[in-house]
Amino acid sequence: MTRLLKNSLVRFSLGLAAPVALLLLWSAQAEPEGARSLAFASLDAIAAALVQLAASGQLLRDALVSLSRAVTGLVFGGVLGMAVGIAMASSPLVDRLAGPLYHSIRQVPLLGWLPLIGLWLGNGDDARLLIVSLAAFYPTVLNTYEGFAHVEKRYLEVGRLYDFSPAQRFRHILWPAALPLVLTGIAQALAFAWIGTIGTEILLGSGSGLGVTMATAQAQQRVDIIIVAICASGLLGFFVNHVLVLLRRQILRWQGAHQ
Amino acid sequence: MTVQPHIAPARPPATQPERGALTIRNLSKSFQIDGAPFQVLRDINLEIRPGEFVSIVGASGCGKSTLLRLIVGLDTDYDGEIHLDGQRVTTTSLDRGLVFQDHRLFPWMTLEENVGLALLNTDIPKHRRAGVVAEHIALVNLTGFEKAYPHQLSGGMAQRAAIARALAASPKLLLLDEPLGALDALTRIHVQTELQRIWMQQRSTMLMVTHDVEEAVYLSDRILIMAPNPGRIRRIVEVDLPHPRERGSAQLHRLRDEILAELTGAPVTRSLIPFPAKETHS
Repeated sequence: MTRLLKNSLVRFSLGLAAPVALLLLWSAQAEPEGARSLAFASLDAIAAALVQLAASGQLLRDALVSLSRAVTGLVFGGVLGMAVGIAMASSPLVDRLAGPLYHSIRQVPLLGWLPLIGLWLGNGDDARLLIVSLAAFYPTVLNTYEGFAHVEKRYLEVGRLYDFSPAQRFRHILWPAALPLVLTGIAQALAFAWIGTIGTEILLGSGSGLGVTMATAQAQQRVDIIIVAICASGLLGFFVNHVLVLLRRQILRWQGAHQ
Repeated sequence: MTVQPHIAPARPPATQPERGALTIRNLSKSFQIDGAPFQVLRDINLEIRPGEFVSIVGASGCGKSTLLRLIVGLDTDYDGEIHLDGQRVTTTSLDRGLVFQDHRLFPWMTLEENVGLALLNTDIPKHRRAGVVAEHIALVNLTGFEKAYPHQLSGGMAQRAAIARALAASPKLLLLDEPLGALDALTRIHVQTELQRIWMQQRSTMLMVTHDVEEAVYLSDRILIMAPNPGRIRRIVEVDLPHPRERGSAQLHRLRDEILAELTGAPVTRSLIPFPAKETHS
């Protein structure tokens, strides 16, 4: 059995089994005469919706709006998160001042801020950007802090032997030593920012974006459009994460293949 | 290895100013362990001449590594005095290099970047630095591996690279803290030979801590035997044999047995069959 599992064709077919079963089940539910035909859409209808959304340019526009929203939030939250993480790891005073606040605010689920932020900033892009930035901020702070706080003392001693200035110490030791964890933080931040983007788009529901389209389609009972938007958000998330994995491998090539 | 009875220093001492004279007077060091002071080193007195190769052997916990950390300036909390060429040691300096047991090359940098780090704060002009780096990589026979990352080097190569980095800044005094301790027996012998060649070529003062009495006897002009609790110098042995030395020489073996006996407290027995060197920890 285990030997059979090593065969790549067998492995591929096995991996395909569950999705195919799910699709068959879905199609059966979506039969036009079926009791649940309203809650499901036939594969034909979904394909038609895809063609329509793609042809009108709405799909591309939605994808770009959502993506740029997530990336903007990632940049804001990520840069600020790195700065705060580095400051907390390098200064016990900053750690004492900012640490408890950071760790208690972090306990509030992200979307829990939405009512308050909506009240302050309205239901527009500002509120969404703030939530998405916050989503990216948390994991970046946490991982950057861990990375910088645990740089090995033995490397810092080498810096002392060669009379490193604080700037040289940062550039040649602290930053590269912390980089693997910082990049882990960025990858988590991206996943969080993507959740924040789609989530706020669905909940605030104005303007455009994949989430907005989902919310509108829900109101219009267009299951086919919802499915297309869900697939698009999944594929986009996968694609951006993959780019990040490739970047990480390139940046951390000094780690060697075993890590 | 060819036998050469007496070999002149690679550079005549006249062209080089006397440098690398280490003087240690009444050095003591204590740690606080659970609130109680624990003396690691007591009353160390030592003079090392410029260009001399001195080894320190002794049981674990006799403060050998602590002594090196004090001399290099990584730890400055001590009683007594440490002077290098008349200057009191107060902090780390490019005058004093240190090779650790673990190579401590930065894994995120290539070999040549690692060696180049040692030159960052020297007054060697920028345009000459690449040449100095290449020269020192060649000195430890690693030419061709300039672009390799540390994980791509074997243990022996990485340790030679660490020696190149330490020498690149031309320290007056090079301290070696069990530099070959983590290497397998064959690699260790190979790097020992390299180290002897490098020292003969550079003639900088070297002070090495080692567990390996044979290594100490092979490389050193003098050997300090230290005793633990508290760490102190028990005896200083002169190895009055010319370099480069013949590893199989009977004199070296006799000296090794004598020092091992001193360390283990066993009587010196002259056996016809030489016993393999054994290391014991007290």
